[in-house]
Amino acid sequence: MSGHNESILREPLITGKNITYAKITDDILMPVENKPNRAWWIGFIVSLCGASLWVFAVSYTFWTGIGAWGLNKTVGWAWDITGFVWWVGIGHAGTLISAVLLLFRQNWRNSINRSAEAMTIFAVICAATYVVSHMGRPWLAYWVLPLPNQFGSLWVNFNSPLVWDMFAISTYFSVSLLFWYTGLLPDIATIRDRATGLRKKIYTIFSFGWTGSVKTWQRFEAVSLILAGISTPLVLSVHTIVSMDFATSVIPGWHTTIFPPYFVAGAIFSGFAMVLTLLLVVRKVLGLENYITMFHIESMNKIIIVTGSIVGVAYLTELFIAWYSGSPYEMYAFQNRIAGPYWWAYWLMMTCNVISPQLFWFKKIRTNIAATWILSIVVNIGMWFERFVIIVTSLHRDYLPSSWAMFYPTWVDVSVFVGSIGLFFTLFLLFLRVLPSIAIAEVKMILKSASEQSKMELIKEGHLDKEQMKEYIESLEKFDSVKQEEYAKL
Amino acid sequence: MESNKKYWKGLEELNKTPEFLENNKNEFAEPLPIEDVLSEAGLSTVTPRRDFLKALGFGLGAVTLAACQKAPVHKSIPYLIRPEEVVPGIPNYYVSTFKGNSVLVKTVVGRPIKIEANPKAGVFNNGTDAQAQASVLDLYDVSKLKNPILKKEDTTWAKLDDYVKGELNKVQAAGKKIRIVSSSLNSPSAKSVITDFAAKYPTAKHVQYDPVSYTGIIKANENSFGKAVLPKYNFDKADLIVSFAADFLGTWISGEEFTAQYISNRNYKSLEKGKMSRHFQFETGMSLTGTNADTRVTVKLSEQGPALIALYNAITGNSLPGAGLPNNTTADKAIKLVAKELTQNKGKALVVCGSNDVSTQTLVNAINVAIGSYGSTIDIDNPCKRYEGNDAEFAELINEMSRGEVGAVFFMDANPSYDAVNAKAFNEALAKVGLKVSFADREDETAENCEVVAIAPHYLESWGDANTYEGYYSIVQPTINPVFNSRQPEQSLLIWSDAPVQDYYQYVRNNWEKNILPGTGKSWNDLLQDGLVAKAPKAASSYGFSLALDAVVSSITASSKALQKDIELLVYENIPMRDGKLANNAFLQELPDPVSKVTWDNFLALSPKQADKLGYKEFDLVSVKGANGHEVILPVLLQPGQAMGTAAIALGYGRTRAGKAGNNVGKNAYPFVSFTNGTLQYATTATLASAGGREELAQTQTHYSFEGRNVIREASFKDYQKDPAAGSGNHHKHKVYDLWTTDKHEMLGNNWVMAIDLNACTGCGSCIVACNVENNIPVVGKDEVRRRREMHWLRIDRYYSFNDEKTGSDVTKETEIAKMDNQDNVSVVHQPMLCQHCDHAPCETVCPVLATVHSSDGLNHMAYNRCVGTRYCANNCPYKVRRFNWFNYWNDSRFDNYLNNEFTQLVLNPDVTTRSRGVMEKCSMCIQRIQAGKLAAKMEKRALKDGDIKMACQQACSANAIIFGDKNDPNSEVSKALRSERTYYVLEEINVEPGIGYMTKIRNIDSETKEVHA
Repeated sequence: MSGHNESILREPLITGKNITYAKITDDILMPVENKPNRAWWIGFIVSLCGASLWVFAVSYTFWTGIGAWGLNKTVGWAWDITGFVWWVGIGHAGTLISAVLLLFRQNWRNSINRSAEAMTIFAVICAATYVVSHMGRPWLAYWVLPLPNQFGSLWVNFNSPLVWDMFAISTYFSVSLLFWYTGLLPDIATIRDRATGLRKKIYTIFSFGWTGSVKTWQRFEAVSLILAGISTPLVLSVHTIVSMDFATSVIPGWHTTIFPPYFVAGAIFSGFAMVLTLLLVVRKVLGLENYITMFHIESMNKIIIVTGSIVGVAYLTELFIAWYSGSPYEMYAFQNRIAGPYWWAYWLMMTCNVISPQLFWFKKIRTNIAATWILSIVVNIGMWFERFVIIVTSLHRDYLPSSWAMFYPTWVDVSVFVGSIGLFFTLFLLFLRVLPSIAIAEVKMILKSASEQSKMELIKEGHLDKEQMKEYIESLEKFDSVKQEEYAKL
Repeated sequence: MESNKKYWKGLEELNKTPEFLENNKNEFAEPLPIEDVLSEAGLSTVTPRRDFLKALGFGLGAVTLAACQKAPVHKSIPYLIRPEEVVPGIPNYYVSTFKGNSVLVKTVVGRPIKIEANPKAGVFNNGTDAQAQASVLDLYDVSKLKNPILKKEDTTWAKLDDYVKGELNKVQAAGKKIRIVSSSLNSPSAKSVITDFAAKYPTAKHVQYDPVSYTGIIKANENSFGKAVLPKYNFDKADLIVSFAADFLGTWISGEEFTAQYISNRNYKSLEKGKMSRHFQFETGMSLTGTNADTRVTVKLSEQGPALIALYNAITGNSLPGAGLPNNTTADKAIKLVAKELTQNKGKALVVCGSNDVSTQTLVNAINVAIGSYGSTIDIDNPCKRYEGNDAEFAELINEMSRGEVGAVFFMDANPSYDAVNAKAFNEALAKVGLKVSFADREDETAENCEVVAIAPHYLESWGDANTYEGYYSIVQPTINPVFNSRQPEQSLLIWSDAPVQDYYQYVRNNWEKNILPGTGKSWNDLLQDGLVAKAPKAASSYGFSLALDAVVSSITASSKALQKDIELLVYENIPMRDGKLANNAFLQELPDPVSKVTWDNFLALSPKQADKLGYKEFDLVSVKGANGHEVILPVLLQPGQAMGTAAIALGYGRTRAGKAGNNVGKNAYPFVSFTNGTLQYATTATLASAGGREELAQTQTHYSFEGRNVIREASFKDYQKDPAAGSGNHHKHKVYDLWTTDKHEMLGNNWVMAIDLNACTGCGSCIVACNVENNIPVVGKDEVRRRREMHWLRIDRYYSFNDEKTGSDVTKETEIAKMDNQDNVSVVHQPMLCQHCDHAPCETVCPVLATVHSSDGLNHMAYNRCVGTRYCANNCPYKVRRFNWFNYWNDSRFDNYLNNEFTQLVLNPDVTTRSRGVMEKCSMCIQRIQAGKLAAKMEKRALKDGDIKMACQQACSANAIIFGDKNDPNSEVSKALRSERTYYVLEEINVEPGIGYMTKIRNIDSETKEVHA
């Protein structure tokens, strides 16, 4: 992938001057090889408090029963499955970036894939905690696995979407973990080579004897490609199956064939939003502006516009089909979303997911870091409400009006959700401390071809088309990490 | 064919070599090296001493360690000699009597656990009410006293007897009065005991009073016909029923008996014969009876009298004064229509009135005479003896006590400190009495003021009898030895009066053998098996009415005028709590009121428009100040059908010493009752003021309209007569497509299904309690019901629809209802809803662990042990009938006040497992009963018969609204019912193939009745 000259029209993926392989290693390993700074400690303590809240709230639920939550005879799932779907959805960006973009040879993924994959794994862990904790008898959670057993050899129900879910999530988690870890091997070896003492021993074990020989690299590339091939269908299948939890039911508002594509688009939408939420902070705090550039941010924002629009079209299609179906229950379910007691949740969802991403059509907004960060959070709020709207507003008023009821969360519901965010950030912050947040080896691959300095060399060589050069220089204006005055002279 | 072929194993055998022949003699062809083993290593190995000691030491140590585990000690004492008739697992049934109704008590290894109607009980064989079903729980009430109390301390019966006798002698010596206060006592033996007691102590007198009194009717009959009796009403003989605020299907005199009579002219069998009675209800608050009326007209309390006068005038052509209904044109039109129809139905009509006012009831008598009810729909020759209370006597008792004339007072099944008309005056007067004895089973409000509490056993521990109608007697027999150190009040009275027979069992038996059994051809043992004796009724004759009505009318008009100020307030009995005597019964507290669906509370019912006018929202706390100055603070409930300008509060709440479950539930409304014109009056006036704040009531249903959905299907009787399938949607069915063509459930043996007749169901809720008791359904309490987590497997959905006068159409959508100006014209439908046992059950496909599966006999099973509690099945149930165990209701201190204690758990049905937390549950179609029925048939080597198996809900239903049976048997009652053109399935369009068919609701309305509300 490296070595050849890239068209000047392409924007640089690494900015800054005097970037060498050594500097890349030093820059990226800075947080791993040094004592953490104050910002990390503050973040970590806050996150750890959140994680403790999660431990407490989940333990309390286990101790007293699901009655600790606000559920009732009509609304059997609420914040639990909302949280579950939300976290699974967030995970999707990681797999998309690492697998699909690899297959499509999108080199810009090299700077963001590591953190995105880590996010995937932690998000799936958070989602999996809900799978167990929402059960009435969590100590029997293993019963959903088709294990040989002596309970009269009871088997699972392969008709049940929850069983499909279990397969989907566990496959997803194991493949993602494997892919992530394989990608980490050369970087762990790099840390190993620079470390001393106990750290060296630990990283030695985890580097699996990486030698850096040509053969190793060749195999590494092959394995990455194979794993990318395996992961790619998972990007589509996992959320498709999650959506079937709803789509295969008989409840108006759930029983919808549009759910699989709509859920997958929503998942990628929320996943990229979360990647942005995380990386915009990481980039600033760890000083990685040269590796995660405005080009990356803008590209992700463009994906958010596309997926956000797909989600918006899906919302409108649902409304149309509800009307077109002629089914009074279906029609009521959507009337109730729009104007029922939970109207505010629906309109919050609509605003956050359909209207706000459209702001990214404006270049000023999609290249503005503060605006991007705020909108990324808005999107995540919107996507949480999307799941809340689907789950709670469909259930709370279904077929028989006699059973219609409201759902009010308890402090335990809120604590489990807030706590799961704490757990997520605790894991993510620990990750930043022990492993490189950017794939060092992969970034090095593109240094010679796609960096600002290599393009500068091309410009200096002076064989370029003036028009193209002008366009390239203009494209650099949005970069906050590029010294604009150098180009003013040209 | 014989074969000559020879087979051989080896050449040796074929050739018969000598070695072979030699070896073949032995068992083993080659010698085994046994000797070698025994002689060499086997026996000669030495076990070194050390190895031996090691093995010994280890063995000893291991055994000691293993023995350290304390084995649980289960004390189980086997029967040395098995008690006769008691086989664990096989229930025994005994007849007894609850509140005058003959019942069958199911006992399991000596524990009574369920009450059923006595199938031999004739007129009462049609089920039991909610109170009877729940009454078994009171036997296991932990709030009861365990020993008799003397001056606030536990005592023995001997000491107590000495004390009481001593005091009685002193009272007698002083010549002071002795009063035995009871609620209506319909036991002939108990009455005889009191007579005997009065013979010994001549100053003794029996005073009967009922907190909810029928003195008005009794006095009116005395005035009109010279008979101070409560009549026997025959609703089954009435083609036209006009009720003025009499809740005869619920709380009025004998609800479940009247329900059976009433429904016999309205159920599917009657409809198929082309007959349906017609029912007009004029009332202030929405009663259960009002919800079932064909035409319901709201009248204010003050308009009830004028309405009756108007009706009398219209029927008889008189022109008594005070008949105007100037502000209620609807009632005015309705009265004219009713008068016309009553005249057309002479001898087949009945007018009843819920008032306790003598004048009002006298006027009702005059109307009933005019329409020829006496001798057909009303029988005063075989009177009802359920209520005999005399309000005036009780009022006089308070006077006597306050004058210090009473030396001793006894309270039998009476709690006047709580429910007397003026409890404060009563308590002050009571303090002046020397000897105060309560026969309560707990230290209730009255017992608290008594120095002697001679605790009475529960009726299931007692002997006794009842006489509810002239010539109709039933027996109370114990089904368990008294659990606590209690003694029957009758026996105490016998002991204190030094009677010759002091054993009450013997006394009852003597009384029956002497006074009741002779001439019936029955022996005492027959009686203990049958439970009752019914003598031939006297011929009911018709009566004339000769009283001048001037005084009556002026009294009615004066009462009506007195009510015309502020807010007219009605205090009434509701179905679950009735008069409040069983307030500590958790099953009853959690039974939703059939109309308001409120549990664990009473409330101030206001019509939505009225509340709007006064500026109150639902659940706002409002201070209600009665005409007599009594004040309570209650949350508002918006009750459609409540008359404008009126409010209603239920009695029976606000107990302070009922027990753990019943204390401080709701507010006491008895102080609003007044003693006017010689009887108790339940109509009064009140002023309302906002008390600030809000208290959410615990309702099991909060949405009251069915939103135009076809889950409820109804038709008018006129349309039904033209087309029996009217309104059922059975004429235009869609073609159904099925994904599961290859996976059909084959129901080869039985296919258990149900049919529910919406025209028979009155919504009374006794099925709910029956289901709770049968299936060990936990009680969860007010907070949890408020969170919408009640566990009832069977619920009754109650929907209101409003009739638009302008268009004449039904308005069923909440948003449209809110826009209506006049919401008085409300119709109600009750729909029992339980697991539909769908053949394509949506719950079954989604369970990840196969905890809920279909059986080969059409049932949807729930395997509690397999459930991991994902709740997906409940989410995917279109009927929302699945219930989740949010907590461990059977082992969680938060639920201790209800069923969660060792003593109360003796009420549990051993055939049904209790469920742990985290597990889903739902109606099992009483699978234990199906199984028991199948086994019984198998033991008798016969096929199951239709009717062998009855569901708990079906058995409790007085109206026979629930029919259960085998769909594979074309002749079963349920198959016949399901073939009715009226049958439809709820949500059949989503093709879940439910197993429960509903029959359309038919209302006997026509253009004339619609004109009333126009």
